[in-house]
Amino acid sequence: MDLSALASCLITPSCVITQTTSGLIIGLLLFLVAAGVSLIFGVLKVVNFAHGAFYMLGAYFAYTAYQLSGNYLIAVLAGGIGVALFGLVFERLLISRVYGSPVLMQLLVCYGAILILDDLVKIIWGADFLSFGMPSAFQQLPFVFAGGVVPVFYLFLIVVALAIAGLLGLLISKTRYGKIVRAAAVNPSMVSALGINTGVVYASVFVLGGFLAGLAGGLAAPVRSLTAGMGTSIIIESFIVTVIGGMGSVAGALVGSILIGLVRSFGTIGFPLFTEGLMFVLMAVVLVLKPSGLFGKGGA
Amino acid sequence: MTRSSLLRDSLIAIAVFAVLALLPFIVPGKGFTDFMVRLAAFGIFATSLNLLVGYAGMESFGHGLFFGLGCYSFGLIMQTFPVSIPVAFLATVGLSIVVGTVVGAICVRLNEIYFAFVTLAFQMLLHSLIIAWTPITGGDQGLTGGIPRPPFLGIRLDDYYHLYLFSTGLLVASLLAMYHIVQSPFGYTLRMIRDNAARAPFLGINVFRVRLMAYVIAGAFGAIGGMIMSLFVSGAFPDFAYWTISGEAIFMIMLGGITVFLGPMVGAVMLLLLNDFVTKMTTHYGLVLGLVILLFALGLRKGLMDFAADLWRDRQTPTSGPRPDTAAKTAASAPARAGE
Amino acid sequence: MLKIEGLSKSFGGVAATNDVSLHFPKGSLTAVIGPNGAGKTTFFNLITGAFKPDRGRILLDGDDIAGLSPPEIVRRGIGRAFQIARIFPTLTVRQAVLGAVHAHRNQHRILAKRFPMPGSGDRAEQVIALAGLTAKADTLSRNLSHGDQKLLDIALALVLEPHVLLLDEPTAGMGPEERWAMIDTVHRMWEQERMTLIFIEHDMSIVFKIAQSVRVLSYGRVLAEGTPDEIRRHPEVIKAYLGDEFEASHA
Ligand SMILES: Nc1ncnc2c1ncn2[C@@H]1O[C@H](COP(=O)(O)OP(=O)(O)OP(=O)(O)O)[C@@H](O)[C@H]1O
Ligand SMILES: [Mg+2]
Repeated sequence: MDLSALASCLITPSCVITQTTSGLIIGLLLFLVAAGVSLIFGVLKVVNFAHGAFYMLGAYFAYTAYQLSGNYLIAVLAGGIGVALFGLVFERLLISRVYGSPVLMQLLVCYGAILILDDLVKIIWGADFLSFGMPSAFQQLPFVFAGGVVPVFYLFLIVVALAIAGLLGLLISKTRYGKIVRAAAVNPSMVSALGINTGVVYASVFVLGGFLAGLAGGLAAPVRSLTAGMGTSIIIESFIVTVIGGMGSVAGALVGSILIGLVRSFGTIGFPLFTEGLMFVLMAVVLVLKPSGLFGKGGA
Repeated sequence: MTRSSLLRDSLIAIAVFAVLALLPFIVPGKGFTDFMVRLAAFGIFATSLNLLVGYAGMESFGHGLFFGLGCYSFGLIMQTFPVSIPVAFLATVGLSIVVGTVVGAICVRLNEIYFAFVTLAFQMLLHSLIIAWTPITGGDQGLTGGIPRPPFLGIRLDDYYHLYLFSTGLLVASLLAMYHIVQSPFGYTLRMIRDNAARAPFLGINVFRVRLMAYVIAGAFGAIGGMIMSLFVSGAFPDFAYWTISGEAIFMIMLGGITVFLGPMVGAVMLLLLNDFVTKMTTHYGLVLGLVILLFALGLRKGLMDFAADLWRDRQTPTSGPRPDTAAKTAASAPARAGE
Repeated sequence: MLKIEGLSKSFGGVAATNDVSLHFPKGSLTAVIGPNGAGKTTFFNLITGAFKPDRGRILLDGDDIAGLSPPEIVRRGIGRAFQIARIFPTLTVRQAVLGAVHAHRNQHRILAKRFPMPGSGDRAEQVIALAGLTAKADTLSRNLSHGDQKLLDIALALVLEPHVLLLDEPTAGMGPEERWAMIDTVHRMWEQERMTLIFIEHDMSIVFKIAQSVRVLSYGRVLAEGTPDEIRRHPEVIKAYLGDEFEASHA
């Protein structure tokens, strides 16, 4: 523990800026994954423990697409769309069979799937760490705000992720599709009574969740090293986010994710050995004070 | 209504232990004893998880917290203090009870899905502590340097037959104790809460307290499994606190069955055999194991012993009224019964 | 003796229980009636601690029990059965009743002894017999008929030797014959165990046949109270509630 380092960072603008941007990046990427987990749980009542593996696949799809095309935009889209399609197959083949099953059964199916996916990644892309490399468009001098250095790519990530979060919010709150999804979360029999095929709604939510996770993987690829199993920590963080933010709430997922991101980035300064632990402490505190999460209704 | 008594079960346990003690002379080789020591560790661990899942209806996904805790705490105590093995053993059980009480107080109030998440989160907290706290835990290298094994009561755990006896003895004793617990009034209270947690409070049952007790008890036994593992590998590895260890325990109980007390033991035998077999055959362990899991989870949807139990129940003449849910199966097995 | 004073509870804007004051003398047999959604079940939920009241007092033999948790209230002698039977599907009738006996005797957290504890069997058999379930004692609860599940639910409450027993529509979902059998059983229980019994019922012929007195709830308020005869003639009640149904049941 190094509280004096943390204190001196907090009074130094450059340090605050650097840590805040890196916290935002961690948080926003996490949000893209956690929002999917939360949505899927909200509507399908299924815990997609394999969502971290989706993120991993997104990164690897993007990697290969980037190798082939050399275009980062194409790479990110390949991550998103590839995982969306994969999510469709996954939902039809596996998840649709455990609707209504006990949580442990759902977790078991996902556990099996993760083992397979991690191994497949090793077989296809190799067991070694892969590095994506910074796309040339972003190889520029970083911005400097008040002495804080912010790489161009970081700003790009923040802007893009916020834009996606905004679009997702609009999709859920303003469109007809969003209305159906929200209704299906509360009362699926009502939705099917209105002549809407709930199976299609479920699959589409899964595809949407997969798309977001794939995008997150693609966006993160240049700043993370790629390895089989890279999905584990993000899925566990996503769970923490849903617990903090409240299950099924997109706004809660955003707030929770950013909180986690900031805790992690400032935590590395104040508690270098206990950064991960801080998230769990944060979660425990929220649980004790507000068991249903900051934005949630259910819970305890 | 209970057919068994503690006395009878203890006699059976002693007989089983006697047979186990002789087995290495019939099946010689370190391969067998090694297998049995691992089985003891995982058998206790999986059965303790099933106290929660099968009997109390508490679907923990973070039971590995206690396996890892038992492993590291035992190893660290033995390395750090000049104490005997039983003392370190009891201290570890005590520590797991303290941790179980604190974590349980936070977790057991939560509903199904949150309970699964948060138990998992606490397990990963332990894992990240182990990884981060390198000076003490050895970080991702694990706890190395071996575990001292001072002899006690004539037991020398550096001898592999002694370790075998010690582990299988603990296995038999733990199973006996856990069986006794599920047959106790407390065990039936757990079943009531599993069946209808909303009804229990109106019978005067404090559901929180009972669940917390179950969580702590299961955790203490889980830690015993971890301690055996730590003796087996002569150290501890972060993997023993990783979420996959919980995944394996869940797979064991789902594989073997959650409605029969010995189901998790059967599952543990199956998974360990599968493990050894697959690692021998291929390097793609995850691929094969994952496929087996999916086959089981989506194909059978039930553990082996659950199947056996249903089969056995169907063969009994239904004297006690209709069983709508099994009527069809009873009809199907009627010809077989006629032939008996 | 159970005395309710100014009890209120709202859900959002709905005042499910609105300033209810009622008195149930020791050993009485009272029916609570009222149209659907009148707040009858909510009234029971408040008494048994399932919900915390917004306002008001619940005096059991002079002690205010409002705000206590369900197990605490049970231990003070208020038992209940539910509108939709709440049972333990995978336990046999005997196991469930034995489980309740252990809970009642505070033996339900004993780890070192076998279930059932010595001496619990007699009480269990007695209650099972009182509920008329002796022949089905070894049947799994989930395989019981609907009526037997309701009986089991009541039997579980009876185990607690309650001073006050609350039955939420004991005859709900039953055919005419089954209803009367159930009511006979309930009446027998009341006579043998001498508790204060309060039951919710929609069937007026049952209410008027066995209840000593009747309380009418409507929109969360007490509309009327009195003997069955008084209630039968009560103009408010006839207007608000009984009019159609009473005539219909005598048509
Ligand atoms: N948990 C709750 N949350 C929100 N509203 C509730 C809740 N419980 C009851 N209510 C509302 O309170 C009112 C009274 O309901 P209650 O179940 O007490 O009626 P009741 O008299 O038992 O009806 P019935 O004869 O149909 O059983 C209803 O408007 C109901 O919707
Ligand atoms: Mg009601």
